[in-house]
Amino acid sequence: MNEKQNGFFANLAEKLNLRYIGSLVLSVLLAFLICAVILAVAGYDPIATYGAMWNGAFDSLRHVGDFLEYAMVLCICGLACVLGARVGIFNVGGEGQLLLGAIFACQIGIWLQGTTAWIVIPLAAVGAMVAGGLYAFIPGWLKVKQKVDEVITTIMMNSIAAFLCQYLAKGPWKNANKNMVAATARLNADYWFGNLIPRSNLTTAIIAAAIIAFAVWYVMQKTATGYEMRITGSNPRFAFFSGLKTDKIVILGMVVSGMMCGLVGMFRVYGVEHLYRASISNDYYFEGLTVAMIAQYNPVTTIYLSLFFAVLKIGAQGIELIGVPSQIYLIMQTVIIFFMAAEKGISESIQKSLQARRAKQAAIARMKGGVSHE
Amino acid sequence: MNDFGLLFNTVFSTGLFNEMLRRATPVAIAAIGGALTQHAGIMNIGMDGMILMGAFFGVLGSSIFGSAWAGLGLAVLVGVLVGLFFGLFVVKFKSDEFIIGTALNTFAVGLTSFLSRSIFGTQGAKGYPSLPNVTIPGFDKVPVLGAILNGHSLFVYLTWLLVLLFYLYIYRTPQGFWLRASGEKPQTLRTAGIAPERMKWTASILCGVLCCIAGAHLSLGYLNGTFAEKMSNSRGYIAFACVIFAASNPAKAYLAALMFGFFDAIGLRLQAYISSDLTSIIPYAITIIMMTYVVVSTRKKREKIHRRADI
Repeated sequence: MNEKQNGFFANLAEKLNLRYIGSLVLSVLLAFLICAVILAVAGYDPIATYGAMWNGAFDSLRHVGDFLEYAMVLCICGLACVLGARVGIFNVGGEGQLLLGAIFACQIGIWLQGTTAWIVIPLAAVGAMVAGGLYAFIPGWLKVKQKVDEVITTIMMNSIAAFLCQYLAKGPWKNANKNMVAATARLNADYWFGNLIPRSNLTTAIIAAAIIAFAVWYVMQKTATGYEMRITGSNPRFAFFSGLKTDKIVILGMVVSGMMCGLVGMFRVYGVEHLYRASISNDYYFEGLTVAMIAQYNPVTTIYLSLFFAVLKIGAQGIELIGVPSQIYLIMQTVIIFFMAAEKGISESIQKSLQARRAKQAAIARMKGGVSHE
Repeated sequence: MNDFGLLFNTVFSTGLFNEMLRRATPVAIAAIGGALTQHAGIMNIGMDGMILMGAFFGVLGSSIFGSAWAGLGLAVLVGVLVGLFFGLFVVKFKSDEFIIGTALNTFAVGLTSFLSRSIFGTQGAKGYPSLPNVTIPGFDKVPVLGAILNGHSLFVYLTWLLVLLFYLYIYRTPQGFWLRASGEKPQTLRTAGIAPERMKWTASILCGVLCCIAGAHLSLGYLNGTFAEKMSNSRGYIAFACVIFAASNPAKAYLAALMFGFFDAIGLRLQAYISSDLTSIIPYAITIIMMTYVVVSTRKKREKIHRRADI
């Protein structure tokens, strides 16, 4: 009985990965502590700030809707990163793919003005996916066929996409209203995603996002394709010699990742902004990437953590009301990553120093013992 | 034809090369630091964040003490701290360099924006004491060279010294030899009685200092005492690309940075004819093209050698 119970608990512990959860909780607590110190040093009241953060996220249904929407953005961006990481390619270029997806989806809605939403929205989604996917294909192809490191190319392509979209929004696709600098024309209200919570950013896009998230999880964890993708990422040589077309799998992973980022751009346009402008995304992909890193590229953990970080982010907007810059949120997020990334190293070096101390004590004890014996 | 001639003349003037030097310098200083970490076998993606920190703390020091030199001093101090911080995670805790680098960049954006807004307000910092421009009397009379080389901010010239210094350090001193060995053959170095970690620590601290100097030059020299949020503008990544082009040789990295500066300056000059958003794309696109070219050509060279060896 006892043994069985032990086995059960061991199983549960394994399933929950207690070590990961423990270090995550500890990292989050330490991050709050460190940020409290930074806030205090900068002359703000940490407790009032954290109170305002809580209020910023939970004081009204509207804010709850806002953080759910942001959780959706983080989750899809994070999953896009996970998908790339699983096949062994880091898609750091999601920001550019997102922006291009957004602007093309928006423009399709404007070109097809007057057509029924049943045609426009699927076409816009396809347009966003094609834009994002093609833009991800370039660095993917360069990485696989030419062995050019994808990190630098994707980061450069982020800047290129940002400037290109700014050019389009200021020039050829500019809003007719002169006061709108760097924005495209507004979409017809027929095409807007319906609001699920009045006045909040939460729209029906979250249903589509949930389907995508489920599909990614299902494909990654439950299908043969997912298995092939995983071994390609973890052991490319083994995958190659087992007869897998690893090149194709890596490029495919990157393209699908880009398509997801493009779709996030479309969700932002059709759900929240209703036109393209720079506020479509403010490094949102990088925040999603951060979440994926903290989740150690685990899809399920990414989904949970997106919710947590979305609450922090929307809460951080609340602290602007009492005059504290919301960027403390970025500091908090990165402190968590630092701890999570160093978790193994930190625990190892603590163990090492403990061992050294124990060995020293043992040596001293032995020496003392030896002396008394004589 | 005439129009083209006019365009050509306005674009390719001495001012272009003057601007090229100006724009290349921040990237070049950071690239020297990147060359050191690259030799030590550390993939340093976090240079952009280091530059941003240097830029902010440079202006902060300048505003607190009322002197650009104090600002530079503070930036160097922060550089040591950032280098220690980076080394702590990458060398001591052996964390993933990519994750730590990316996190460091985001951390720098968060920290500098947060502090900048708390201290200077949402407008950013402007007009604090800046590093002096060097004008050699009489030199401006020299045709062409005078217009290109004279009157730059101090670090444009100091960079030449830094390049020479670190070139000699890496390739002509025993420490430099150990540094290279710590990246290429760490086990061999350990057998020789030198801990590779020691060289990795040195490289990451020096890289932190150099990147922060690059940042301080950016805010205090290049922009005359101005700090704006995210002002590093991916320069750290471009510096990283320069390191890759140059196979971690600081002298070649400087040339790569000059080339980046050249295309950046051309973009600036073309703004009279094309939208500035499009011209801003040029340096980033060139970086991708150059990176691809260098990677492909080195691989082809290697294949050629292998083929010859087969025969």
